[in-house]
Amino acid sequence: MTSPKVSTYVLVILLFVAGIGLLSGLYSGLVRLGFLAGTSGGISPLAHGPLMINGFLGTLIGLERAAALEKKWSYLAPVLLGISTILVLAGFTVPAKLLFILGSFFLLATMLYLYNMQPVAHHLIMALGAGTLLIGNILFLFDTPIFNLVAWWAGFPLLTIFGERLELNRIMRPPQRAQHLFLALIILWTAAITFTHINRPIGWTIASVSLIAQAGWLFKYDVARRTIKSVKWTRYSAISLLTGYGWLVLAGFFSLWQGFPTAGPLYDALLHMIFVGFVFSMIFAHASVIIPSLSGKLVPYHQYFYLPLLLLHGFLLIRVIGDIVWLPVIRSIGSYGNVLAILLFLGGIIFQLLRVSARKKITNKGM
Amino acid sequence: MNNSSIIRRRIVRQLREVIDPELGVNIVDLGLVYNILFGDDKVIVEYTTTTPGCPMRRYLQQQIEEALKSVEEVDEYETNLVWEPDWSVDMIDGEVEFFAHPPPRTQMS
Repeated sequence: MTSPKVSTYVLVILLFVAGIGLLSGLYSGLVRLGFLAGTSGGISPLAHGPLMINGFLGTLIGLERAAALEKKWSYLAPVLLGISTILVLAGFTVPAKLLFILGSFFLLATMLYLYNMQPVAHHLIMALGAGTLLIGNILFLFDTPIFNLVAWWAGFPLLTIFGERLELNRIMRPPQRAQHLFLALIILWTAAITFTHINRPIGWTIASVSLIAQAGWLFKYDVARRTIKSVKWTRYSAISLLTGYGWLVLAGFFSLWQGFPTAGPLYDALLHMIFVGFVFSMIFAHASVIIPSLSGKLVPYHQYFYLPLLLLHGFLLIRVIGDIVWLPVIRSIGSYGNVLAILLFLGGIIFQLLRVSARKKITNKGM
Repeated sequence: MNNSSIIRRRIVRQLREVIDPELGVNIVDLGLVYNILFGDDKVIVEYTTTTPGCPMRRYLQQQIEEALKSVEEVDEYETNLVWEPDWSVDMIDGEVEFFAHPPPRTQMS
């Protein structure tokens, strides 16, 4: 029997650390909205973005890649990004920023290693994603305002997910030209993000058009259009994917309408369309695959999972409207609702896993 | 028909119970099982994943080992993840209908 080099317990611990990144990131987001205002201590509202991007997404995606490659050094990315969460929570900002850079550097190294193993477009796109995280983190170390670096941070989940979808969608056998077009759109997007540092409106306009085109590509070629006719997790995943692509289109048109706002409600609206509308839809869509990949446990499907999905999109819509018309109460209701949706989804997953575990124990006792 | 071909068929039958959760199709029909080899005293299953970046390798290994354990005649076994040749969509069994429920199985040869 061949055994994995790294124990599954290590993967589960790192998954748990990513979970801490998520929960503390959500908490920090609520503090940003004034939650428990006036109380001393707690998490800085400024930690919301770094925790969500590095502490949660960086650790989780780094862990997925490490579990795929199964090289001990590839675990450096999720371990370092996981430790950075603890440093952020402890208030060690500069060491945390350094670990963001180191962690994303090893994530990029992991992706380049994969690209070297198999030099194909989807690995290149995912490596570009890891590269955008590294660039964002370097800019963050040098105290670049978040609104000037956030597009690089957004590039990380966007390009990682685009690469994964291109890989899976090979089974739809998209024409070679279509695959090249998708890669070209992604390179254009990355070039446009670079250009925003020279001319923000022009760079962002090009990036937005490219983003809408990428979402259009996914609507046309993603297998979700077929799997939506399926059942259980497969259908759930398809609905999550397609609604997520819908938010990308909205984010693209919103950007064409409002440009690339600096910090403020319009900026918040745009970022949350991408990070909540698209990224969390993708997380909901892929959870049924991510969990068994890392823990070895299948998550039994239950239609309950449509509740958090519905709440996620519904409250995001409320939040975005609250941002656009600047009604702080509406914006807060939407934000609290989004946190609730994510917690309900997470709770559902944990409940289902515990239920299966308890059932197995009862069955084993009965034998 | 010799003994090893009967055992091979039993192994293949069990491996067809291993479903790739992302694609909803068993790993044999997806073309992910490259070889079932019979050594002196053990069975070796060589398998791959759709891409080296796929985190499912550990889960698939665990499931393949469970499948091998369930074949009475198999005492010792080994699972080897291999990357050559690269997996491609052309390796998928032509009879596979994606995303049918329950997951489809082609006729055993």
